[in-house]
Amino acid sequence: MKIKAIFLKPYAKYIWIILMLVAWEVTAKLAPVSPLAFPSLELILAALIDSVINGDILMQMAFSLGLILIGLGIGVVLAFLMSFLSVVSPVFASFTDTCVSIFHPLPGIALLPLIILWIGTGSMAILFVIVHSVLWPMILNMTAGFKAIPEVYKKIGMNYEFNTLQSIIRIFVPASLSFLIAGLKISWARGWRAAISAEMIFGASGGIGGIGWYIFNKRVFMDTAGVYAGILMIIAVGIFVEDVVFGKLEKNTIKKWGVA
Amino acid sequence: MKNVDVNPIIEICAVNKSYEGRPVLADINLAIRPGELICVIGASGCGKSTLLNLIGGFVKADRGEIRLNGRLVEKPCRQCIMVFQEFDQLFTWQTVRHNIEFPLKNAPERLSHQEIRSRADHYLAMVKLTDFGDYYPNQLSGGMKQRTALARALALSPQLLLMDEPFGSLDAQTKKELQETLLEIRQETRATTVFVTHDIREALYLADRIVVLKAGAVAAVIKNQTRNTDETRVAEITALLSP
Repeated sequence: MKIKAIFLKPYAKYIWIILMLVAWEVTAKLAPVSPLAFPSLELILAALIDSVINGDILMQMAFSLGLILIGLGIGVVLAFLMSFLSVVSPVFASFTDTCVSIFHPLPGIALLPLIILWIGTGSMAILFVIVHSVLWPMILNMTAGFKAIPEVYKKIGMNYEFNTLQSIIRIFVPASLSFLIAGLKISWARGWRAAISAEMIFGASGGIGGIGWYIFNKRVFMDTAGVYAGILMIIAVGIFVEDVVFGKLEKNTIKKWGVA
Repeated sequence: MKNVDVNPIIEICAVNKSYEGRPVLADINLAIRPGELICVIGASGCGKSTLLNLIGGFVKADRGEIRLNGRLVEKPCRQCIMVFQEFDQLFTWQTVRHNIEFPLKNAPERLSHQEIRSRADHYLAMVKLTDFGDYYPNQLSGGMKQRTALARALALSPQLLLMDEPFGSLDAQTKKELQETLLEIRQETRATTVFVTHDIREALYLADRIVVLKAGAVAAVIKNQTRNTDETRVAEITALLSP
């Protein structure tokens, strides 16, 4: 019973991770596997520490995260503009709906050949892919959130003589925050995947490349431990953003308000 | 019968309203004097909420006109605040105090920080929620939510308070307490109030005058100076309401 209780705790995730690492190490040490394909944890850790000390992996990660942040920012602003216009005008709303149904299912990577034709390879192209990955799920969630606003809130906004923009900023946005956070989570996850994939394809030509390029490069030089180090960094950042950034955000807003 | 020396705050003249060809209100005429508490009573679907929404400017009349202090009502305004039946009229993302301060912070006339705080304190005390200022709406009971909504409406010192069955979803005991609070507030603020309800006893307890709506028309306007809620009075009004 005690063991079961441990796995119901929020930190259960980390117990599983430790178990997986142990299994990994046992396999690497005892099974007849090539260290080139299946390096032991010491090798991976050494590669990671080495890369952290010479600053390479951190710089690449910072570069990727910076791109994502800018892309998220642009995507959220564009999504807000389109959602706002959709609230104001039903005609624009139908245009937005059409755009979402066309572009939402389209992976940014599929657009990459075209993007390379339009703006070449480099950071701008990666940014374009990120914005594309962020924009559509964000619009989908924002408009759904605005549609779910209780009728009384709209009436209260009218009663206080707010114009549409004031109503949206002061009432609609906080009232639909659970939708907006959900949208942000999806957008982040999509943007992150898209960015790493795009970096793997042409990171080198635009500045320092990013974490995707880092992994690709390590593979080219047959530094398998380095590849795993890069993957570990990606997982760590993913868990950090999910648990710490979004976790905190939710705890201080929608969970506190009892609307989650 | 009209009181000639006081101008009515609200004048409703020959107002008609229909939804999709179905008449809801027909030829409504009513004048409300400053400081009055009017209860509009009627069966569900008789048009009482529509009447309130017309006065508030939330819907437009098909014919006829409504004037607030002589000025035509065309859209909702801050002088005429509505309190709803729904508990979710409070902003879930703000504490009780911030809900009350919200309309003041967003007022066209810039109020100082202290002014806003002291007004919020004043109305928190008035609705007996002084100790609950830091609570979020999801931590409150239904009655407390409606008290907060009332304080938020009062904070703007509106000329007219419109109440759409605000106590309709409360249990009998809480309802009674809120009715008493409303009467106390009235003593203090003399706010003109139009209160829609389907509860005859509530109307008899609160109102200066009771407007009985039946099938979209004013069936009777009853003076209620005595505030007598005994069974004969209830039966009298029930008779007016029944077809």
